[in-house]
Amino acid sequence: MTALLRTRAARDVGVVLVAVFGVGSLAMALAHVSPLVGFGSLFDGAFGTPEEVAETLVQTTNLLFPALGIAIAFRAGLFNIGAEGQLMLGGFAAGWLGAQFPLPAYLAIPMVLIGGAIAGGAWGAIPGFLRAKLGANEVISTLMLNFVATLLTTYLVTGPLAQTGGGSQETGTLPKAAQIPDMMVDSRLTYAFVLALVLAAVLWWVLKRTVFGYELRAAGEAPEAARRAGIDLARTAFVAMTLSGAIAGIGGATIVAGVLHRFNTGLSPGYGFIAIAVALVGNLDPLWIVLASLGFGMLQSGGVAMQAEAGVPREVVSLVTGLVIVALAGRRAIANRRTT
Amino acid sequence: MNGTALAIAALVMLTLVKATPLIYAALGGVLSERSGIVNIGLEGIMIAGAFASVVVSGATGNPVLGALAGVAAGALLAAVLAFVATRLAVDQIVAGTGLNIAALAGAGFGLVVVYGQPGASREVPALGATGSNVLIVLAFVAAAALQLALARTPWGLHVRACGEDPSAAESAGIDALRTRFWAVVAGGAIASLGGVYLSLAELDLYSDGMTAGRGFIALAAVIFGRWTPLGATGAALFFGFFAALQFTLQRAGVPSELLQALPYLAALVALAGFAGRVRAPAADGVPYVRS
Repeated sequence: MTALLRTRAARDVGVVLVAVFGVGSLAMALAHVSPLVGFGSLFDGAFGTPEEVAETLVQTTNLLFPALGIAIAFRAGLFNIGAEGQLMLGGFAAGWLGAQFPLPAYLAIPMVLIGGAIAGGAWGAIPGFLRAKLGANEVISTLMLNFVATLLTTYLVTGPLAQTGGGSQETGTLPKAAQIPDMMVDSRLTYAFVLALVLAAVLWWVLKRTVFGYELRAAGEAPEAARRAGIDLARTAFVAMTLSGAIAGIGGATIVAGVLHRFNTGLSPGYGFIAIAVALVGNLDPLWIVLASLGFGMLQSGGVAMQAEAGVPREVVSLVTGLVIVALAGRRAIANRRTT
Repeated sequence: MNGTALAIAALVMLTLVKATPLIYAALGGVLSERSGIVNIGLEGIMIAGAFASVVVSGATGNPVLGALAGVAAGALLAAVLAFVATRLAVDQIVAGTGLNIAALAGAGFGLVVVYGQPGASREVPALGATGSNVLIVLAFVAAAALQLALARTPWGLHVRACGEDPSAAESAGIDALRTRFWAVVAGGAIASLGGVYLSLAELDLYSDGMTAGRGFIALAAVIFGRWTPLGATGAALFFGFFAALQFTLQRAGVPSELLQALPYLAALVALAGFAGRVRAPAADGVPYVRS
């Protein structure tokens, strides 16, 4: 069995490499760019200077939070494709609270992070509740709630909770005390990166070593057996979706409090969706997800340089990401997704 | 005609224009899901239809050829989903999500390769008013035909059987994998007409993100319409009506975000069972693996 799993894992790595380098090269050739030049500028753009490494780690951080959230839901047998919306809500809560209530740093930073976790968690709790109490398919509800989240935050930030005038799609600027401190000068890298790594380690431990983690995995891997063993499936579904949303919400809060220093309705270029690929490539294991988010973070930050320097459209990165998701849709880990 | 009658006629026409792409995409979704394959990739299929039809219409100068190419592209993308969902028995939601991302990026990439610019294509020969009207009428014909075909033909029975219980269907001599495959491909062909309508009837070009989530609104219409062609068409008309009313209601003080959120909220309400019992096909989304 382990040998079989190892073979499958090796095959999956092969599939990802083919998707990234094969399709990437083909697309570059279509754009009349030598793949060597294209990938060269991508790697150089991602790792060429300390500042570029820092930006790669910023993108890694932004992907790591939602990917960890998605993995928690997936391990419980629930497909949360609402990370994007949960991240938006978390970001909005952080931006609004941070700009609204000037507090000293030791209160302001916990406030924006916890505010983000609560807002994202609430957005995850809705499909969790619909699933646990009413049996509503969480895939469709999380998908629909993504759109509602974008519209709701746009409405709030331009309407009732506006902090800046003129229909601006931004909150006010966060005071210095509410901003997550930088790890490196001349970069956008903050201690949110460390927080993400710590969270990954904690989640790994929770999944592996705690009763809660065991129940979560049991509910995901063998729901019927878990139910017979007395695990409350409805409760685990609700808790897993709430936790999943809260983690994505913290991610949104760190983008706001660390990178942008304000909430903006365009804060995410689709991190919540790219994170699905990250979670799958990371085999839904928090530690491997760290590595996977570094890989996709590299594609995100290097893609900019690839477009600017080699003239390869950035869309190649998204194209490859989408194909990786398709290629990994057959993973064993998600074969047991609860469907009723 | 007096002013009111004119205003009503304009509203009806605008409703039809807004609803038509949704109807095509929703019909494609219904056909796919009744066979047991959840098609989250409707958005990507619309994008493929919209983009390919513009490229071919521009290259040949013939918008009808363009429309056919759009249908072919949509069917091809659906065939990818159908293949991985039936032969490889992968998770349909995950695969569909990936296809959407890839299709949007692929079209954005294609814009640069074909037109040498990001953002939008140049203007190409379009279907015009006649072509637009034909597509509107055809949407309703397709809805009625699909309703009849699903309910009354042996093929429709096979499709529904595969959506409810594929292994029972196979015991009865139906090839469930093949039936599902072709239902998804045919659904993709229908849904792609929604994209063709956007790019070659409503407009005469492709621009990045022009489908603007309509594939997901169509998914909402499938659910709100209880997985039947006529129900989904009704839901699409309902959503189209509010889209058409958007400017009027906005002037009356209704937040535009609320109106835009309506389809998604309606689907959530339907899913939660607040609007009566909603039941998806029993084997919808469940990969079928022969034992």
